[in-house]
Amino acid sequence: MNGKNPYLYYGGKVLGFFLSMAVLSFVVFYIARLAPGDPLVSYYGERAEKMAPDERAAATGKLGLDDPVSVQYIRWIRGALRGDFGISYKYKTDVTQVIGGRIGNTLLLGGTGFILIFVFSLLLGILCAWFEDRFPDRVICKIGTITSCIPEFWLSLVLILIFAVNLHILPGSGAYTAGREGDIKDRIWHLILPMTIVVTGHLWYYAFMIRNKILEEIRSDYVLLAKAKGLSKRRIMFRQCLRNVMPAYLSIMAISVPHIMGGTYIIETVFSYPGIGTLSYESARFQDYNLLMVLCMLSGGVVILCNMAAQTINELIDPRIRSGRDNGISEVSGLGG
Amino acid sequence: MEDKWFELVGRESASRVLSEWEEDRAGERDRARSGFWGSFWQKINRIKIRKKKRNRPVLSLCLLLIVMAGCLGCELFIPKDPLYMDLANYAHEPCREFWFGTDTMGRDLFSMIWYGGRISLLIGLTATAVSTLIAVIFGAVSGLSPRWLDALLMRLSEILLSVPGLLLVVLLQAVLGKANVWSISFVIGITGWMGIAKVVRTETKQIRNSEYVTASKCMGGGFFHVLWNHLAPNFISSIMFMVVMNVRSAILSESTLSFMGIGLPLDIISWGSMLTLADKALLSGAWWMILFPGAFLIVTLVCITNIGSALKDGAGSRESNL
Repeated sequence: MNGKNPYLYYGGKVLGFFLSMAVLSFVVFYIARLAPGDPLVSYYGERAEKMAPDERAAATGKLGLDDPVSVQYIRWIRGALRGDFGISYKYKTDVTQVIGGRIGNTLLLGGTGFILIFVFSLLLGILCAWFEDRFPDRVICKIGTITSCIPEFWLSLVLILIFAVNLHILPGSGAYTAGREGDIKDRIWHLILPMTIVVTGHLWYYAFMIRNKILEEIRSDYVLLAKAKGLSKRRIMFRQCLRNVMPAYLSIMAISVPHIMGGTYIIETVFSYPGIGTLSYESARFQDYNLLMVLCMLSGGVVILCNMAAQTINELIDPRIRSGRDNGISEVSGLGG
Repeated sequence: MEDKWFELVGRESASRVLSEWEEDRAGERDRARSGFWGSFWQKINRIKIRKKKRNRPVLSLCLLLIVMAGCLGCELFIPKDPLYMDLANYAHEPCREFWFGTDTMGRDLFSMIWYGGRISLLIGLTATAVSTLIAVIFGAVSGLSPRWLDALLMRLSEILLSVPGLLLVVLLQAVLGKANVWSISFVIGITGWMGIAKVVRTETKQIRNSEYVTASKCMGGGFFHVLWNHLAPNFISSIMFMVVMNVRSAILSESTLSFMGIGLPLDIISWGSMLTLADKALLSGAWWMILFPGAFLIVTLVCITNIGSALKDGAGSRESNL
């Protein structure tokens, strides 16, 4: 946008989003088909391995897997545009139903985790910046560096070992005790361990980012002016610095969503928590194509959306970025997203 | 006089020579200040320099070196064959014979940790090499190409990386076939290059129009020549920190993948694949199987992180205004 037409600007963004989704669906569809493996096994179970060749051919034809990949892709796109994503081979029901039954659990875990991380990392960051290079800051930094190095799955194992296996005070797997799905207390009880890990796994990274942002802000000239004017440290920090840091923090948090989501996936599989994470892991390993596609589009969509949100926030703050300069937020590499 | 210098040796080197003269003159001035006040002045100067220096991660370097040396030369001191399955002593508690105990397949954990560390470190380094190579080439191409191509490349890579990392790895693994050290490194490498590529691209864009790049191109320097001789010296310091951090996250990814059963198989020992048996350990309460490999993993990762952040100069280099 050239600063003139907001409709064009947001229209371009929306168009970009749909284009990205289309490319994404294409790529995932082809990669999934490239991978060797037998989708029939996930539909018929063990029986698929003992099928006679003609039975096999009939089964493949029934699932529509004997056409060329491009034909399959076009068929899938047509269905998807009408809202029909096909059936899951493993669960034999509509993909949307399968996901609908699980997505609440993931949202509960990831969403609550996100809010906790959002609040606590801000508090920790401010605390560290306030005591810069003094005792509390150094201690928190040391602890933070160590916690950020602990693999999430390992921490889960240790916590399960301590609290579930040895002390028997917290459940080590699942989202609820069988038959007590509606019981909120039971739910929270099951959430404690996975939530602890979601939060500790990401908290420090974002706290550190906000700490550094505030430290940068403290070094700017207006702080000197404010101090010369006689404002108190607290007032400068909270009224002025924090206000300037906030937009950058929002865009960091937008980028954090995919990372937290990726972490949630791993934690779900360790705790065998019935959410999207375990589902996508299963579907990718056992060639449940339709389910895999929707899950990939779902999480890919969230990632693209969050990246765009971060970029938009940055552009609104600082119009110079639009001329192609980097937004200065470094990506975390690895399994996070 | 100075004008001639510019013509003869070019602006770059002339300014270097000039600044060297300046330094010489300053040195002479210092030396001229002999006596008590002179030495006092020199001392103050030295103190300033010492304060400016970043803290060196000596402890982390030492620990990392010990771990690496131990892993490389593990044959010299490990008491058991790490691959031998001593079925009479499976899931044995730590004792004098088995320092860290044995796993559910009867292998000695102490020997396995040192032996498996090699694979973990190797994967960390190889994956980082892969990702850095991709990142540097991609970033440079993107930074040097015209604007539309640049936008297209960046958008494409964003889309590719919006597939959740875990799923991407599962799919790629399936395409590549049975996992081994190289395929795992490759997969981890090609999922973790985006951050570095962005930095390389930004740096490249800033210097793509400078005289020396243009001159080199005019003299017929190819893409790799320009990249290596003119671009790389500029961005190497800013990506160093990220490269070291990539080693860390590659080791982390390897352990996570192996643990989930999509990384290295049980018979290739690494810190991650040692934790594959963890669910059995949970059932039998064999805490040593989880604790010891994990502790080694974490110590190594913390050391690498400390070294990495020492490479990056933080905001604390200036005095705070507050």
